[in-house]
Amino acid sequence: MNRIVVSLVAVLFGLLAGAVLMAVTGHNPITGYSYLFEGGLKNPERIGNTMATATPLVFSGLAVAFAFRTGLFNIGVAGQLLFGGFCASAVGLNWALPKPLLLIVMLIVGFLGGALWAIVPGLLKARFNVHEVVSSIMMNWVAYWTVYYAVPAYLKAQYSETESAQLPEAASLKVPFLTEMFDGSFINLGLFVAVIIVLVVGFIINRTTFGYELKAVGHNRSAAEYAGIAVNRSIVFSMAISGGLAGLGGVALYAGNASNIQIGVLPSQGFDGIAVALLGANTPIGVFLSAMFFGLLYSGRGFMNAMTEIPPEIADSIIAIIIYFAATSILIERLIRWFIRRRRANTKASTSQEGKVGM
Amino acid sequence: MRKTAKIFTGIMLVASLALTACGAKNNNGGSSSSPSTSPSPSATPSASASAPASPSAAPASFQVGMVTDSGTIDDKSFNQGTWEGVQKAAKDLGLKEKYLKPTGTTEADYMKEIGNLFDAGYKFIVTPGFKFETAIFKAQDKYPDAKFVLIDGGPHAGDFKYVVKPNTVSIYFAEHESGYLAGVATALQVKEGDVGFIGGMEIPPVQKFNWGFQQGVKYANDNLGTKISIKKDNVIYQGSFDNVAAGSQLAAQMYDRGVKVIFAAAGGVGVGAINEAKTRAKAGKEVWIVGVDVDQYADGVYDGDKSVILTSAMKKIDHAAYDMIKAETEGKFPGGQTLIFDAKNDGVGLPVENPNLTPETLAKVDEVFKKIQSGEIKVAAEQGDLLK
Amino acid sequence: MDYVVEMLNIRKEFTGIVANDDITIRLKRGEIHALLGENGAGKSTLMSILFGMYQADRGSIKVNGKEVRISNPNVANQMGIGMVHQHFKLVEDFTVTENIIMGSEPRKWLGLVMDTRKAGKKIEELSKQYGLNVDPYAKIEDISVGMQQRVEILKMLYRKAEVLILDEPTGVLTPQEVQELGRIMKNLIKEGKSIILITHKLKEIKAFADRCTVIRRGKTIGTVDVATTSEGAMAEMMVGRQVSFKVEKTDSVPGDVVLQVKSLTVRNSKKSLALNDFSLEVRAGEIVGIAGVEGNGQSDLVEAITGLRKAESGSIDLNGQNITAKSIRERIESGIGHIPEDRQKRGLILDYTLAENMVLEVYHREPFSRKGVLKNSAIRQYANRIIDSFDVRSGEGAVSAARSLSGGNQQKAIIGREIERNPLLLIAVQPTRGLDVGSIEYIHKRLIEHRDNGKAVLLISLELDEIMNLSDRIAIVNQGELIGVVNASETNENEIGLMMAGVKREEGA
Repeated sequence: MNRIVVSLVAVLFGLLAGAVLMAVTGHNPITGYSYLFEGGLKNPERIGNTMATATPLVFSGLAVAFAFRTGLFNIGVAGQLLFGGFCASAVGLNWALPKPLLLIVMLIVGFLGGALWAIVPGLLKARFNVHEVVSSIMMNWVAYWTVYYAVPAYLKAQYSETESAQLPEAASLKVPFLTEMFDGSFINLGLFVAVIIVLVVGFIINRTTFGYELKAVGHNRSAAEYAGIAVNRSIVFSMAISGGLAGLGGVALYAGNASNIQIGVLPSQGFDGIAVALLGANTPIGVFLSAMFFGLLYSGRGFMNAMTEIPPEIADSIIAIIIYFAATSILIERLIRWFIRRRRANTKASTSQEGKVGM
Repeated sequence: MRKTAKIFTGIMLVASLALTACGAKNNNGGSSSSPSTSPSPSATPSASASAPASPSAAPASFQVGMVTDSGTIDDKSFNQGTWEGVQKAAKDLGLKEKYLKPTGTTEADYMKEIGNLFDAGYKFIVTPGFKFETAIFKAQDKYPDAKFVLIDGGPHAGDFKYVVKPNTVSIYFAEHESGYLAGVATALQVKEGDVGFIGGMEIPPVQKFNWGFQQGVKYANDNLGTKISIKKDNVIYQGSFDNVAAGSQLAAQMYDRGVKVIFAAAGGVGVGAINEAKTRAKAGKEVWIVGVDVDQYADGVYDGDKSVILTSAMKKIDHAAYDMIKAETEGKFPGGQTLIFDAKNDGVGLPVENPNLTPETLAKVDEVFKKIQSGEIKVAAEQGDLLK
Repeated sequence: MDYVVEMLNIRKEFTGIVANDDITIRLKRGEIHALLGENGAGKSTLMSILFGMYQADRGSIKVNGKEVRISNPNVANQMGIGMVHQHFKLVEDFTVTENIIMGSEPRKWLGLVMDTRKAGKKIEELSKQYGLNVDPYAKIEDISVGMQQRVEILKMLYRKAEVLILDEPTGVLTPQEVQELGRIMKNLIKEGKSIILITHKLKEIKAFADRCTVIRRGKTIGTVDVATTSEGAMAEMMVGRQVSFKVEKTDSVPGDVVLQVKSLTVRNSKKSLALNDFSLEVRAGEIVGIAGVEGNGQSDLVEAITGLRKAESGSIDLNGQNITAKSIRERIESGIGHIPEDRQKRGLILDYTLAENMVLEVYHREPFSRKGVLKNSAIRQYANRIIDSFDVRSGEGAVSAARSLSGGNQQKAIIGREIERNPLLLIAVQPTRGLDVGSIEYIHKRLIEHRDNGKAVLLISLELDEIMNLSDRIAIVNQGELIGVVNASETNENEIGLMMAGVKREEGA
């Protein structure tokens, strides 16, 4: 409950700071924001786009949050997402299966690809105590260059050197009924997968012995060891699952929002996942909501730009400020406490003052 | 109609790749740099050129939008070039302009921004770069009321079957010709020694710059008495357009190996190379960079008024954008066409001002330019037996 | 009267909890003044107020007779008040000097270069003046805990503190180091400093302090003259009732061998020999105490038995079953209970609730979980049972975060958890470290009860009194070797002290 308040205040502060920036640069914040939200919500297509933009963020946010809950800082989500997406794309381009089956296989392969990418830092951490921040961020570049080499070598279309061939219809998470329902938006089945995964992850973290073990290792490795929990195995599992979630995000991104995979791009969704997780207080539901919020910002931004004279760079700064406030919600928490304390002190002071006057 | 357009496009594409003298079919391409005589558009559809006319007459007034590719608006390359053309046109013709920067580089990101521009009333949309190909393919159907200019690419559904609808025009450049001229100029200016090439990603436009450059150097060696060599090690594709640090490193390695001039067709990577060159030039070394896409002379300035930019292999992106906007105001939008900007229509070439080239060099380069225009020199757009 | 510091009628309330209700303490110049109270009585809060970390809601503070406002620790420092915390605040890979001057580094050459040498010299002088015997150039990680504490004291002296607050200073020290600390405190007094000694160890108060203020539940109970007050009287003031120091227990009735350690050799994390050819047996129905100076292989023995550390050679049998190669969990399942030495590091997951902590070793069994899904109601029920029977006090019962409990209650929770599982062998390492008299009494009773239930107890403690009082047999270790095993009823402190120093007993060998 308290966390929700903190996150909401963080968002509010971010919006206020953004408003100040708009005002300082000579733009009307109210029009700015009204277009921002209109851009994300004005019609079915835009709502669809907002949710679709949020979908990969749900996964990357979950990946970060899951690792975080188990005491690991998985900063390699971008690479895991990329590699998971790559594996799924490879399957989607090469296997001729009926659509439902193919999509399920792609999701599984995407999960495994991301997991594989995260197992490496997991093993290094468990076996040699190599800090996962370092090793997972290195894996980002391994993924980047692997994809860079492998896409043109194996998955490219005839003329294109920098991206894979387009996925066939059967391998796309886009389905006609959704596209039509949202007036041609690129919303896709990824969103439903995301909802299911949010529930599953929430269940695993909160209700299972497995989650209990992972969190125990995260909070206190020594105590977990003392309790007979296989600590190293837990670390590897945590990383693998975290990476797998990122990999699913890759499927949602490359086979859902996009329809092919590009080289030379480390998906920014991977890093946004950190902010999403922080704003979502590392809880699955929180991550889902904060991802939706980010999706709204990202998809409404362009319309704000188009309708006002706010230049894109300022719009980027506004979004960055909001994210910044969201990510530093711990400060907000302190601020709230300080405020409460001060108010209490004030009331106390004033009552004692009155007391004195009374005497 | 649609079928014809398809066939036409196909022909144009083959033409552009094989470079059979076809050139720019449309006169508008040629009449590039001459500023418009009068901003008031003549809205008579009958005046439109030989090309299949756009279905509707050009509106009296419209707003011009642009969506940027990855990178910033001041990337000294595609985005900037396009935007400068758009701005100039908007100013000359009294139009309103706006650019949007997508959050990512996927088709969905591009579509979103195109939709934003359209919803905000910007119905003449310019997009730079081949990455927009599939997005424009969809957009031209989804927004039949809008007009699209796709620079350096052609709309297709991901299958490379190009379909240019009547509300779209697709523009290519003859980068190899531009590279060729830069190669000749470089050879003439330094006379002998090693030169090198740093590319961004190994994609056709960059490759064509490279191959043209090599042919140009060879031409100078064969016909103009220079002794320039390009070693295999000194032709490198870095792999991205934004890794500035890597650009500096690659340039440093090449200069250490004795390379005098580097042709950097690599966006941000090229910026790194320029930085390295500036550092060395300040220390009194003789090193040069050949810029790309736009006139990069100003980026290479050091010690007040000197610059490490020997010359630049330009694609006149700004002209292309300008011309298309102007054509629209005149009701002559060449919808459904694929245009090629090359030497013949002055769509590629070296900068007008070249402070680091001697008048003799410039004169000879000009001769070569004329020969390309006349078809006497044919520059190949394929690798053939060239390096990478 | 000449008071250096006076805290008058201090009240401090945290959300819902009154930590200090109405406390008055007056420190005379040049005295050692003990502040005595149970865990959670409000000692730490009171001192934090004096040190400027909290602000009192009511009451006043006077320094040298003048009323002052101490808004933060820097202000306290300027007024000559220094605090040595229970947990030292030192940078491990800095030298003593670097640690001491941190934050107020002397500089030379236009302030660009740190003048360590000058500082080192000054620290050396101070060290000599007060008999601290600290090497200013040694690295913190290389010196003993007792020495580190002296560095903390030196830090205060270097900053010209006149009043030193020592928070539970003996908790981490060996008996010898405690004596040494006593000597140092006397030196400080001689040089005109004043000391507030926060503790709950009556013996130490008796030995070192001049006067003692006793607080209970946030209120001052009284200030007494130590010389004329008995330990029992002070304990009664602290706890609020009569306390017995002697542990009541019947003679043991040893049964079958439960733990059999044979020729066990263990290497520590630095790969040096921690335990060498060590053999020991513990029978059902007896408490075997391990006596020894800290760091002589006790922890390594416990870690080897519980599986936290691999045995180099030798064997460990539990109830006749060889468990040397078994995993930690298998050992737990086969009947080992372990009250760990460091309750916050090993014993609890501080971010988990009390309930979650209570099933730390059994969560995977029914009824706490079924098919991998936790059964929260069963877990809470189980936790409540432990909380009730071991009198674990917390803000919100089973759902309070373990972190929010006081140290004593955390310890009680751990002991409750381990005893509740009714293990064949209970290994209790320093079970009463840092606890107050009331808690100690209670925990001792439960350990003996466990023995009387026919289970084996292995007790490791650095407090010789505790070993002597509780154990039926005592094994003495020195440098990883077993020096001897004696019956508690047939020995005395002197003999054990000698053996702890490595002197073997003539007879029975």
